[in-house]
Amino acid sequence: MRANLIDKYKDDVTSFSQSKGEPDWYKKVRLDSLEKADELSLPKYEKINYRSWRLDRPGSIDNSSANEFDRKPQANNYIYQAGDQTISMNLEDELSKKGVILTDIFSAMKDYPELMQKYFMTKVTKTTDNKLTALNAAFLNSGAFLYVPRGVHLTKSIQAMFVQDNSIDRDFVHHVLIVAEADTEVTYLENLVSEGSGHKNKANIVVEVIAADNSRVHFSALDQLSKDTTTYLNRRGITGNNARLDWAIGFMNDGDVIGDFGTDLLGEGSHTEAKVVAITTGEQVQGIDTKVTNYGKHTIGHILQHGVILQKSTLTFNGVGHIVKGARGSDAQQESRVLMLSRKARGDANPILLIDENDVTAGHAASVGRVNEDQMYYLMSRGIDEKTAQRLVIRGFLSSVISEIPEKDVRASLTQMIERKLVYGQK
Amino acid sequence: MSTLEIKDLHVSVTDDENGEGQEILKGVNLTMSTGEIHAIMGPNGTGKSTLSQAIMGNSAYKVTQGDILLDGKSILELPVDERARLGLFLAMQYPAEIPGVTNVEFMRAAINSRRDKDDQIPVMDFIKKLESKQDILDMTDEMSERYLNEGFSGGEKKRNEILQLLMIEPKFAILDEIDSGLDIDALKVVSRGVNSMRGDNFGSLIITHYQRLLNYIVPDQVHVMMDGRIVKSGGPELAKKLEDEGYAGLRDDLHLDVKLTDEI
Repeated sequence: MRANLIDKYKDDVTSFSQSKGEPDWYKKVRLDSLEKADELSLPKYEKINYRSWRLDRPGSIDNSSANEFDRKPQANNYIYQAGDQTISMNLEDELSKKGVILTDIFSAMKDYPELMQKYFMTKVTKTTDNKLTALNAAFLNSGAFLYVPRGVHLTKSIQAMFVQDNSIDRDFVHHVLIVAEADTEVTYLENLVSEGSGHKNKANIVVEVIAADNSRVHFSALDQLSKDTTTYLNRRGITGNNARLDWAIGFMNDGDVIGDFGTDLLGEGSHTEAKVVAITTGEQVQGIDTKVTNYGKHTIGHILQHGVILQKSTLTFNGVGHIVKGARGSDAQQESRVLMLSRKARGDANPILLIDENDVTAGHAASVGRVNEDQMYYLMSRGIDEKTAQRLVIRGFLSSVISEIPEKDVRASLTQMIERKLVYGQK
Repeated sequence: MSTLEIKDLHVSVTDDENGEGQEILKGVNLTMSTGEIHAIMGPNGTGKSTLSQAIMGNSAYKVTQGDILLDGKSILELPVDERARLGLFLAMQYPAEIPGVTNVEFMRAAINSRRDKDDQIPVMDFIKKLESKQDILDMTDEMSERYLNEGFSGGEKKRNEILQLLMIEPKFAILDEIDSGLDIDALKVVSRGVNSMRGDNFGSLIITHYQRLLNYIVPDQVHVMMDGRIVKSGGPELAKKLEDEGYAGLRDDLHLDVKLTDEI
């Protein structure tokens, strides 16, 4: 029988916590989570089987990356990390004066213990949700904290670049906490990217977004983890009254990834649009479970997932729309569409609607199909070769999410990422 | 000079309901050269659009007999994109809409597909060319920046087909009912575009129901199709005669045993 996680890792976790100079409260969170992880199970997702990935077997907690990469975001307000190191960051004076906080997760524990104790894994994702969230808290070795105080509207986006390093043997256990207090507005763009090669690593990433009353939060992500990185990626949020939380996620990883996304619409009249595009290539498996739950009255939850599957890869989209009893006047809509470009590919689009209230509207659409022949014919009739035409049609198919991304240069980089992945997948 | 020859062309389409092939073209013969404009007229359901799709290489249309030759070489075995790069162009009756891909980007890709990888069209040259062609068609940059045909009105789509024609500059352009759904002003604009292409290096095959378009783009030859064949050829005056007497009149003159689709 395997040794308990707590027995096996207690000393490592404790000494890592000490090496980071963490406050006692967080060291306790780590050890409590480690203890609980033994009893918790892996999260279950319809039609996604990832048991063999061994995401629940931690490796070394130490995440120091000695390598420098040229990945600094082109933005005024940004944080750039490689492994557990913050390479550089900037927040305009004007924003810090207003009380905006942008910092790495270890500094946040030390410098803003009240905020962290109030919000870190207490409101959105809990350490007790499942084995992987418990392990995230216990083995946390990088991350960031963004705080927007009441009444502050950010006109420029905040960008984050998180580099996961495969030139060393290290788990990447990452946590991002975003708190947008009441009456705020913030646009956040996150890049997750692998660098280096030679080692196979696991990543456990949890992102929590709190969109308080009357806030507007726009969250975009461009994910490019490599084929050597096996990942659990959890991005979830909650909304206050009349809050709006929108997600635009480009899932362009090359490795095996579980994506657990969504929003709990707690506040009355709150609204979320969750948009995901994914491309899978090679023999990779990507499973994406996007779940929106309407708790508050008159809440609106929309899910849109578009994916393209090439070669021998597998892509599964689950869309879960859940309206709880009492959420009168709410709306849950979802659309999941998958394009198959290869007979050896496997794809699934599962719409799941759970409706426990009568006075609501809900709907779903799901399809698994092939590239539109009329569009292909039209493009090729102008001289464009088949592969290029295919990429253009696919880009059109994915455009619903691309066009959601607010920054022009980020849209352009997503388009480039799509192009790169498709060219690779067409080989 | 280039030539496009259609020899004894038979084309079938597969019926969606019973899966059986139905012969639409029953032996079409037609030869045209660059420098010439030919018009094909005919009642509904006689195979005019089938001819255009078969020339371009739409896989839904099966050539069962005969040949299509460009400069003496058969193109039947070539896929659509190769035919296009050899100089064929089809302005479609129902252009596809492609969201996420701008008109500009699409046209650049089309032009660059005809050039070497290390000799792609310089951006400034492309923009200059685009602006001059847009002017001919009274089009704005706004339209070119939009996604390909997405949300375009019927008239805008037709204009956009002609813009592509002017940008790509093919040897032979087939215009499949480019006049349908156009008001008289739009018809004039589209005709101005096609006429601007006229010259020794350009030939066009214009498919239309109505003589009206041929007032603006005067053809060198007019062919009348009925029941999958060309039944009569002549000069521009043939089109005028048809306008006066109708297709039924011509059919009776020629003693053809053909049922016209829309005949009462």
